[in-house]
This record gives sequence, C-alpha cells and structure tokens, in this order.
Amino acid sequence: MKLNVGTIRSTCDGFSSIAELAQDASDLWLDNAELDFSRCVFFDANMAAPLYVVIARLRDELNDVTIHNIQPSTERILKKNQFLTVFNMGVLSDTNQTTLPFKIFKRQAGEQFNDYLDTYMRGRGIPSMSDALTKRFRQSLFEIFLNAGIHSNSELGIFVCGQFFPQLHRLDFTIADAGVGIRENVRRYTGRKRMNSCAAIEWALTEGNTTKTGNQPGGLGLKLIKDFIRMNEGKLQIVSRFGYYEFSSRGDSFNKMDHDFPGTCINIEINTQDTSSYCLKSELSSDDIF
Amino acid sequence: MDKQITIKVADLIGSPLCISAEDGQKVFDKIAEFLKDGRNVIISFDRVSMLISLFLNVAIGQLYGSFSEDEIRAKIQVEGLSGDDMELLKRVVDNAKRYYANPQQYDAAWQDEGDEDE
Repeated sequence: MKLNVGTIRSTCDGFSSIAELAQDASDLWLDNAELDFSRCVFFDANMAAPLYVVIARLRDELNDVTIHNIQPSTERILKKNQFLTVFNMGVLSDTNQTTLPFKIFKRQAGEQFNDYLDTYMRGRGIPSMSDALTKRFRQSLFEIFLNAGIHSNSELGIFVCGQFFPQLHRLDFTIADAGVGIRENVRRYTGRKRMNSCAAIEWALTEGNTTKTGNQPGGLGLKLIKDFIRMNEGKLQIVSRFGYYEFSSRGDSFNKMDHDFPGTCINIEINTQDTSSYCLKSELSSDDIF
Repeated sequence: MDKQITIKVADLIGSPLCISAEDGQKVFDKIAEFLKDGRNVIISFDRVSMLISLFLNVAIGQLYGSFSEDEIRAKIQVEGLSGDDMELLKRVVDNAKRYYANPQQYDAAWQDEGDEDE
C-alpha cells in the first residue's frame, strides 16, 4: 500500500497529516507500506518522532515499511538526524551539530536517556544555555520521558529527537510514544467513557490530576513544564489521539484533529537565549517545606 | 541510641538521577521504616544531579498518606538541595497534602465536561 507523506511541519496540520497516515494504514497486516515522500517539500526534523509512531505500529503488525521518492533536502534532514538509519539508509554528518538525533528507547530507560542528553547537548552546536535554563529544560524532558514510559502502556518504546534553530535561538525537542493516549487513561481513571481527547488533555494539564493508581499523589509534571515554558516564552505542544494542544506566549489553544494519532507526542520548544534564574526569590529552608 | 538517621538518596538508589518511580518507592520505603520506629530522618540529596516531581511524589509526597503532617514536620529534614529544587519539593509537598486531604476532589469539577464520541 502506498502512503503519501506530504509536507510535515511542527504544527497542528503537520500532526494531523501524520495521524491521517496512521488512519489510512490502520488495517495493514503482514503487508507492504510504502511511504511516498514525493509530495513532501519540507519536513521539520523533530517530527521524525511522531512519524515513527506510525511506523512502529506498522512494524508491530509485521508490515514491511519502506521509503520512496524522498527529495534531497528532506533526505538530508532525515539523514542528519539519523532517522533514516531505521531504514538502513545511512547517516549524514551533522556538521553544524545542531541535531539531537532520532533514537528509540525502551520504556523506563531513564539512565540511557540521560547519557543521550549528555552526549548531544554538551559542547556541540547546541548553544551554551544558562545553567538554570539547561536544568529546567532537562527536568522537563525527564518528566515527559518517564511519564511516557508509565502511561503509554506500550512496549514499542519511546521515540525522541530534537533540533536547534540557531537563527531563531530556538531548540525543539520531541518525545512520542505509540501508546493508548491520554484520553484512554483519563477515561479509565475517571470512569467517563466518552470524554474526548481535548478534554482529556485539559484534565491532565490541571495541577494535581493524575491517572496514576496506587493512592499516590501526582499530576505536577505537565504543570511544571507549562510554568517553565511560560517564563521561557517558549512553546509546548501536546498531541494525543484526536487532541491537539498548544501553549505559547500567544496563549492556550485546543484543536480537535480530523484524524486519530495513535499515541501521544509532546514537543517543547525553548528560547535558548533566556537568562532567567528560575528560582523564586524566597530562600526556603527545610523547616518551610513540610 | 542515636535516633537520627541520614538517608543518602544517591547511595540508596545507586544513581545521581532521581527520576524514576521505582527509585522513589525505594526511598519512601526506607523513610517510612524509620519513621515507624520513631526516628528522626535526614534525607540527603548530596551528589544528586537530577530531580523530578515524578520521583518526589513517590519518595516524599506519598509519606502524607501514611503519616501526619505534624509527625513529618517534626521528624524529617532535607539537605543538599539547591534553591530551585527546594521550590520543587515544596510544590510536591503542597500537592500531596491537598491530595490526601481529599483525593476525590480533583475529579468532581470535571463531571460531564467534554463528553462526546470521537
């Protein structure tokens, strides 16, 4: 079966196009899936992670997935970020070292994810950000990564990649899983069988809301990330099933996509020139905490 | 017998990364064990290079489900945390207090919002 991959940008339309691919291919089993890139004139490198959600599901159904008619500019982007290694199509040297390469991690592989960040975020083309910014950024990535491992309920792994845009002073990092989606978890937890994807994302963004079972508090991770992105004047995108959420200095927006993205993907984009201290003025002592 | 115990988190979990729920549970179990014995506990985060709310919810937030606020305040101290990590821990503790005060409250506000087929 031929699947047309159009232009994919890191926008609601881009995610919706990937979701449409998934929907078109949802019945394939023990078949051939040919990803035809002839209509793709641009591909945002970080979108390799959500695209792999579709590919991982196809491969899990034992389909043979191949790439066709990829244009040189797109091929260059996807070879630089090592995405095309999953099709044995080789790697191009990332001369400017602005890429955090595509990688598949096992669930709960937090230590390996740490090694990955150590390797690709230090002393390369990624700008030297302030210590406070680097720490908050990495904390945010760990929150997303570890929560994906817990909530996705998928053995297919966690897919990550990132891209630095030097002219814009922006760094995007994307973490995706091929799991059940936020909606399913929230439906199970709240017992509301018809809650839609956008409402489920909104529920998950509310401080204190967590679908973790076992009588443990939670539900802070996404709120902390949103607070960080607000201060940093960056951007947060959450895509899960039919739901698309975006937060930036322009505000919050939810959109229902036309197609079902078969998992969850979170993209955070930070302003790398930010010099905020990210520490409140008050000095807390141990006695103030409890 | 000295009743004060120091738990060195990085040593206990064998890593400077306080990121996983499993490691958080290990720390919680140890703290809970000593609190039940009536001991004072210092939780040392020396050598910890990364700390996230997921870990702290389990390691420390969860204590509020088993022990009273007064008991925790009287018996636990933390050390080795930077200012921003202290802020993070404070958020986790406040969230845990709210959670155990009324776990169902979080859901109540969401009745019938956004219920439609997709």
